[in-house]
Amino acid sequence: MRALFPLAILALPLLAQHGRYLSDSNNPAIGDPVAIAAGTKLFMGSCAGCHGPDGGGGARGPNLVRRSLWHPLSDDAIFQVVRKGVPGTDMPPTKLADDQTWNLVAFIHSLTGPASSNPVPGDPAVGKAVFWGAKAGCGNCHAIRGQGGSMGPDLSNVGGSRPLAVIREGIVEPAKDLYYLGNEAATVVFKNGQTLRGVAKNRSNYSIQLVDTTGVLHLLQMNDVKSLTLSASTPMPTDFATRLSKAELRDLLAYLAAQDTRAADAKGSPQ
Amino acid sequence: MKLLLSLLLTLAASAQVRHEDVAQSPGTDWLTYAGSYNGWRYSPLSQINAATAKNIVPKWVYHVPGARGLRSSPLVYQGVLYITSGNSIHAVDARSGRLVWQYADPRAKEAGPNRGAAIWADKVYFTTSDNYLTALNRHTGAVIFSKKFADVEKGTTSTSAPVIAKGKVIVGSAGGDGGMRGFVMALSADTGAELWKAYTVPAKGEKGAETWGNLLEWGGGAAWLSGTYDPELNTLFWTTGNPWPDYNGSVRMGDNLYTCSLLALDLDTGKMKWYFQFTPHDTHDWDAQSWPILVDTEINGLPRKAVLHANRNGFFYALDRVTGEFLRATQLIDKITWAKGIDDKGRPLMLPNSEPTPQGNWVCPSVKGATNWMGQSYNPGTGLLYVLTLEQCGMYYRSSQEPQPMKNFSGGGATEEGGQVILRAFDPKTGKRVWEYPMTGLGRMWTGTVSTAGNVLFSGDDDGHFVALDAKTGKNLWHFNIGETLGASPITYSVDGKQYVAIASASAVYSFGLFEPASGVEAPVIQFKTN
Ligand code: HEC
Ligand code: HEC
Repeated sequence: MRALFPLAILALPLLAQHGRYLSDSNNPAIGDPVAIAAGTKLFMGSCAGCHGPDGGGGARGPNLVRRSLWHPLSDDAIFQVVRKGVPGTDMPPTKLADDQTWNLVAFIHSLTGPASSNPVPGDPAVGKAVFWGAKAGCGNCHAIRGQGGSMGPDLSNVGGSRPLAVIREGIVEPAKDLYYLGNEAATVVFKNGQTLRGVAKNRSNYSIQLVDTTGVLHLLQMNDVKSLTLSASTPMPTDFATRLSKAELRDLLAYLAAQDTRAADAKGSPQ
Repeated sequence: MKLLLSLLLTLAASAQVRHEDVAQSPGTDWLTYAGSYNGWRYSPLSQINAATAKNIVPKWVYHVPGARGLRSSPLVYQGVLYITSGNSIHAVDARSGRLVWQYADPRAKEAGPNRGAAIWADKVYFTTSDNYLTALNRHTGAVIFSKKFADVEKGTTSTSAPVIAKGKVIVGSAGGDGGMRGFVMALSADTGAELWKAYTVPAKGEKGAETWGNLLEWGGGAAWLSGTYDPELNTLFWTTGNPWPDYNGSVRMGDNLYTCSLLALDLDTGKMKWYFQFTPHDTHDWDAQSWPILVDTEINGLPRKAVLHANRNGFFYALDRVTGEFLRATQLIDKITWAKGIDDKGRPLMLPNSEPTPQGNWVCPSVKGATNWMGQSYNPGTGLLYVLTLEQCGMYYRSSQEPQPMKNFSGGGATEEGGQVILRAFDPKTGKRVWEYPMTGLGRMWTGTVSTAGNVLFSGDDDGHFVALDAKTGKNLWHFNIGETLGASPITYSVDGKQYVAIASASAVYSFGLFEPASGVEAPVIQFKTN
């Protein structure tokens, strides 16, 4: 049996962290492109050696994006960590001025906050064509604002709910660990000989809630089921890192980063 | 069983909720907040009836993640139950209680309660506390659109279940105790685009503005409970809340139209056909938020298209719903100290010394009101209307501090003490009580009722029990201790020919049905396949 359980737990911190970024700190550096740029510079100089250039982890320091999934920190707490370090570990204290420290916090916030709230490189309009095009075929499985398939999670709010690095991982390393109950590709054979294929949104030993390949929900009782076949790995294709060019991936990410149910009304998102 | 299964499969594939479906609701499904456009909370289901109610048992419980004070009345369509919590909606298998999908909007700028969802075509709708109407694919929970319809920065929040008629999603506005300008709005069910907006307080220079002082712009009149709809008259019936500042009337002399009123609005245009104000110049926070129930019956000896309304101010009204003409008012509760009755035009006959004062004034009913937004039920079989009433008095205080909008200041305050909740059955023909069911508790519940063709009335009580009463006599048939304060109204539905009754407690949804011996489930044969 695959490790469904720990992965289900991962979904919780993801949810928990969303609330954090908006209500947290009123420091003007947060979300300010100039402060983030200054913070990036500082990070490259003092922190990247341990945490990697994009905070993605290195030999002596953890991946800060992943860490925020299980150890979410408020902006103020990040400030304190940067200032005081983490005693007893390699994470050193710093002697930076307050505004410099806030610039660093703004940078870390931009790494770990929802992708839509940060500047993202790439052309969303080109990314849109990639998403809906035949080469990637994302739209066959994923829906955005009512268009697209239902075999994968809805991505209408992916930019409003996930850090950019997490979206990228979801695409290029889908098998890593974002595979949890609710996305299993399933084939049901009933005792009466009928067959049904789709995604098991939920299941137990007694019932199964399945969305078929046409997007229709079926509520089934296991007493009616003869056998159930489930995909042993994520249904999400695992070859996008090679199938797509660097530019295609960057633009695709820019498009997904803009998918935010709340930004749409203010800015108008590319759909 | 086989037959049922294939039936379920084909039904699910073709089904779209249409206007006719909601207009005929409820049958096996429960498609709108009150079950039907007329606000009856009445179901023709009768498997659970006065004779079988003794066999009711819990079937499943769904714990809504993070919920503490649920206010939501569920919807059911095609075997799926939809329940909302603050800024989230959950689709649950109505037979098993298993989650199908959920959607949360944790970035909402408010965290208020939510009273329920709406369903139309293949979408379910709910509003966030900060006024986004969100439409989701009913099968998958995928977002179709999420559209902001009002500014939370202007003091407006959203708590009520939308009502959808002829492709128009009707939403209201909450926040009247902090200063705001109330409205009812129609949005397109396809796109969320605004179709019309009807303010409940006139603008400067408009008719009715002369009934205010200078606070017109922040006058309140929130519309925080869904209303009812008469398809034949193409009219919406929506109630409005208190004027602001709640307890200090000296800064807004006049009747303060159209607060504490019932509005009849044209569905297509939002134009006001008529209004009726229950409490002119209210100073006790007696919002008119309780159901305008549409019943055709005989009143004062004449057949009428009536609208019945049990008001927070202590009186039970009947109006002609075509013209708005006042027909009759009777006492909803025993203890009323602010008015000695209602005159033949429908205005209260005020008694002296009932205003809030700096030292506090003892007035009945209390600020919670003689009833409130708790779901009432009208049963065409018994011909009775069931209302949860509260016999309670309280102190009302006034502060002359300069009122500032959105500073959480309501010109004073109120406290309530003791009191008793009594579920009462009224005869709409006479306005008189037929029976009553007194409850124990602290007057803290907000739960409501549903009644059925099986002659059963379901209600929450004031100390956390779910109860079934004989709808004719009020005699207790069955009870179950949920053990939490109940703040939402029950519904009933049927799947695979089996009737269920569901209610949200503070933290969970409970679904009940008739006892059946269990049949064991064989361990499923599961294979894993690498793709
Ligand atoms: C010498 C290596 C090193 C350097 C340089 C370094 N870090 Fe760290 N950092 C670590 C380690 C190791 C941890 C994990 C500590 C632990 O085990 O709790 C960490 C943890 C963190 C955390 C997470 C703390 C938590 O409680 O979750 C943040 C944020 C952080 N570092 C930011 C920075 C910033 C900003 C800089 C540059 C000013 C920086 N780090 C420089 C090694 C380093
Ligand atoms: C064959 C169907 C399929 C295709 C094609 C597909 N995906 Fe997925 N995708 C899934 C499924 C199923 C999941 C959920 C399981 C998982 O996370 O491993 C998923 C997960 C994801 C996630 C993570 C979602 C989250 O909630 O964090 C992202 C992001 C994503 N896909 C993007 C894409 C993009 C971009 C493409 C096109 C380049 C694509 N997918 C193509 C099926 C598909």
